[in-house]
Amino acid sequence: MIELISIPFVQNALIGGIILSVLLSVLSLFIYLKSWSFINVGISHATFGGLALGFFLGLSPTFFGIVFAVITGFLIGYISRKGQIHEDISIGILFSVSMALGVILITLSPNYNTDLFTFLFGNILTISREDIYILAFFTVFSLAFIYTFFDRIMYCCYNEEVAYVSGINTTFYYYSLILIIAVATVLSVKLVGVILASAMMILPAAFSNQIFWHYRGILLLSIFMSIVMVVAGIFVSFYFDLPSGATIVFLYSSLFGFAVLIKKVLQKV
Amino acid sequence: MNILQIKNLTVEIDKILILKDINLEVKKGEIIAIVGPNGGGKTTLIKTALGLIKQYKGSVRILGKKPEEAVKTGKIGYLPQKAQIPKNFPFSALDVVLLGLINKKMDKKEKIELAKRYIFFVGMEGFENHPYGKLSGGQQQRISIARVLVSDPEIIFLDEPSTGIDFVAQEGFYDFLKKIRDEKGITVVMVSHDIGVVGRFVDKVAGLNRFLHYYGHPRGFFQKHILERLYGSDVELVIHSPECVTCEHFHSDFKGEK
Repeated sequence: MIELISIPFVQNALIGGIILSVLLSVLSLFIYLKSWSFINVGISHATFGGLALGFFLGLSPTFFGIVFAVITGFLIGYISRKGQIHEDISIGILFSVSMALGVILITLSPNYNTDLFTFLFGNILTISREDIYILAFFTVFSLAFIYTFFDRIMYCCYNEEVAYVSGINTTFYYYSLILIIAVATVLSVKLVGVILASAMMILPAAFSNQIFWHYRGILLLSIFMSIVMVVAGIFVSFYFDLPSGATIVFLYSSLFGFAVLIKKVLQKV
Repeated sequence: MNILQIKNLTVEIDKILILKDINLEVKKGEIIAIVGPNGGGKTTLIKTALGLIKQYKGSVRILGKKPEEAVKTGKIGYLPQKAQIPKNFPFSALDVVLLGLINKKMDKKEKIELAKRYIFFVGMEGFENHPYGKLSGGQQQRISIARVLVSDPEIIFLDEPSTGIDFVAQEGFYDFLKKIRDEKGITVVMVSHDIGVVGRFVDKVAGLNRFLHYYGHPRGFFQKHILERLYGSDVELVIHSPECVTCEHFHSDFKGEK
């Protein structure tokens, strides 16, 4: 294992994975409380269209991925708040269009030299030092924002209308959170892929809430378990030559299933 | 002084007329009950007064300001219908009450002391660190009321506050509302289905079914022609009270047939 850690790309994967674990597990609390899992799935799938467009144009896929994710996130958020079209329908259409566009652009792309599988399910070999710097900067920025406005964001999660009547600018916090989730989704693509990025923002809080009822316990356990699962997933995927994202999400989902089972058994005893 | 003034209010949502030509004045320290059939626009009326519904015709002034400006003062409290609060929100009872102090410039210790005082005030002492989601319906309502009151509001809006509270407890709940009005001078505007009960506790009743069919003292409200206009024809009113010894069940306050 020590030999493995000394390999630069494994170091990058571990550092990147740990930073991401902290960011995604904190975001998972809000996604869980707001029941935003489907919004999150929509954003992560829509990212694929942006990444593919970047490749097609020979420009930064990450930049275009972020643009697509943010636009999709804001559109879903807007539709969801206005309630004119059922949000499930709008999300379903938006992410299907973006995925379809992504596949077409990737196929037509003259620069197409990357395995489609990498985008969809992640590949730890592709995490660079530059990615880590961007990720670290964004994580510090996002966590500082969340720390500063934590009470207000939680008030919005408790009930947005009550928060509004209390003088909270709920629109600002709503779209800020969607913006952070959208960018975090794009930055997590190399580790877990677009298909599974949303799982990393749903599983931590869903798992931790099986054990703790209070948000502090949920947050701390989410961060700890995400780091454990990501590190374990990276090693397992490396040893067995598996896609990192699929391995991490499979391990985490299994843990979640186990926690639910144990809780049910304990409730019956 | 009118703390809430609504003039010629008309609200349409998705081209469906919900409220038409509503005129309403609420004075400081009054307790008002908005009653009427389901779908009559009760919740829409208070949401418009709170600035949660922004598309309307007419004029709404609360604390002398437009609703979207008034909410920024932090002087308005709102308790939505119980179903709108997530059941298992990962907060303790104390955390929920502390939300009411979010705009106050006090240190954390002072906030906790004040929140605990209000938990005591609503008769929930000892439950500070209990999971909010594990409290009974009535206990959750009391904690939510403490959240509303701790912010030191001038006016509070309660949407069906007695939901989930049994009949006997409801009596105590309305007594409690009178107590906070008397002790703190807070104006209370609430939506309720319990017209028999609220008649004994409120200063004015607003009978709402798209139009405001009645606004005045509760005594004047219980007239056949008003109730017929509000709920439809052939209305039979059955009011139960703790004094009513012949009543075996308290499950129905009102029976109306069209």
